[in-house]
Amino acid sequence: MTVSLEGKSAIVTGAAVGIGNAFARALAIQGVNLSICDIRGDDLQEIAETLDQIGIEVESTLADVSVPADVRGVVDKHISRFGGIDLLVSNAGTWAQSEATDDLDKSDADWDKVVGTNFAGVFLFGRAVIPHMIAHGGGNIVNIATDHFCTCGSPNVWNHDDAPDCPHGINPPRPVGGGSIMDLYDAGKSAINGLTLSWAKALHEQNIRVNAFCMGATDSHMLRGFNNFDPDPAEEAKLLEEFGWMKAEDIADCLVELVKEGEEGRSGENIGFALGHPVRLPKRQPIPTFMYEPLS
Amino acid sequence: MGTLDGQTAIVTGAAQGLGKAFAECISAEGAKVYICDIKAEVNAVAEGIRDNGGQAEAFVADVSNRSDVENFVAAAAKDGIDILVNNAGKWKHTPVTSDWEQTLADYDEIINTNFKGVMYMSRAAIPHLIQSDKGNIVHISTYYVLPPKSNGTNPPLTDLYSASKWGLNGFTAAWSKTLEPHNVRVNALCMGATDTPMLRGLYEGDPPADAVDSWMTPEQIAGLLIDLVNEGPDGRTGENIGAWVGVPVELPPEQEPHHKITGIPVG
Repeated sequence: MTVSLEGKSAIVTGAAVGIGNAFARALAIQGVNLSICDIRGDDLQEIAETLDQIGIEVESTLADVSVPADVRGVVDKHISRFGGIDLLVSNAGTWAQSEATDDLDKSDADWDKVVGTNFAGVFLFGRAVIPHMIAHGGGNIVNIATDHFCTCGSPNVWNHDDAPDCPHGINPPRPVGGGSIMDLYDAGKSAINGLTLSWAKALHEQNIRVNAFCMGATDSHMLRGFNNFDPDPAEEAKLLEEFGWMKAEDIADCLVELVKEGEEGRSGENIGFALGHPVRLPKRQPIPTFMYEPLS
Repeated sequence: MGTLDGQTAIVTGAAQGLGKAFAECISAEGAKVYICDIKAEVNAVAEGIRDNGGQAEAFVADVSNRSDVENFVAAAAKDGIDILVNNAGKWKHTPVTSDWEQTLADYDEIINTNFKGVMYMSRAAIPHLIQSDKGNIVHISTYYVLPPKSNGTNPPLTDLYSASKWGLNGFTAAWSKTLEPHNVRVNALCMGATDTPMLRGLYEGDPPADAVDSWMTPEQIAGLLIDLVNEGPDGRTGENIGAWVGVPVELPPEQEPHHKITGIPVG
């Protein structure tokens, strides 16, 4: 069963570029009125104009999700303009190289930037919209995490029939974590996995669904920056084909599908999208993770 | 003779409960312990250890305060550091419907101690743990991060507490890789109900006797920690180790790489 999203309203954070940009466009095409925010002013204005041309109402704000007053500002403006909120997509995220052996000066700065954006930003936006969603009788929150703890091999081992080239079936087992040089990124994102489960459980009775998207490498502003990927346009398509990165538009289609499940849809899932597999919304888990039955 | 003779350990949050038991049991194995807490009662814990013939020094220090952490670790480091037990943690109900001011205050209170405090303590101690060449970092997490053996994990009223512990998964996974060449192991203990002041604090008045009888004891968890450390430099690293009420409290077999953090067995 799917529901129409026409006339609903949503906030998408980090919507100026990359995956957030794709989320905003996909929702706009469904007729969802949007508040968008980002720290990148020029790109934000550009996507705002694109969304306006699609024919929806757009509220655009320069805002840093790690700053509580900025979060409050975006949510308050959204509520006063649209009267409520149906969907929050907490997409804004950032990255910095950080590891166990860093000194405390660097770590303090990295904490503020990485955990401040990736975790505090998600926490604050969620907490700011939840009272409005409760007052409205329901809502939908989608947090964006990472595949580093949620892959085709873990916590659930996927069927690999449709992904014969994926190297991460049962053997060799895929190690968890994104590697050694992104400890604060991984810490912030895994904290989102926990937050998602807690909120799903807390808000189950209020018809508020809470899920997270845990994507592997997706062609995005962040990943291009991380890999210094600035190719000759003639080469770009060929290189992307080789990398096999997922496309932001495909992930955005899955977001729309998730939201369209409506209030009977899934909640409390950290939904993995693994590289080397077809990009599609996986089947709903029979029992939400937050209500697991005893294992033994 | 103890199994940890000649080693030096740091235990945070050692004024009571699990931290006190960790400090006492590590000391009983022969290690010198440096302990801290925001509560001055930590001094009495050190005195008790010394009265029993152990070596202990106590500091009133807040793991969420960077200069406290730097001073405390600098003091401990004069003997070298072999073991860091990141135990200090706060627990409180943080309902999702709290007002905005409360939300911001709760974030700072829980996250800065349970999550950022672990970063501070570890970053400060890691250069010394590397020198040790047989170092151990043990995070004190919760069974909320593991697949539940009973309903009730990720309780709805503790979003920040739970997220702070889930966040440690990122540290455990990443640090175990960075520090493996230096023989520093990084693991987390993820316990269910244990008889601590934190758990007793959830009850108005005394908790029911049958509940208390079912709980694990801090000494059992401390025994688990000693067994973990005593696996030695070739022991497991990067793993969440669960302990649940109703099943024997013992080190489980080492997990396959992709189940170390999630704890879900191959199905």
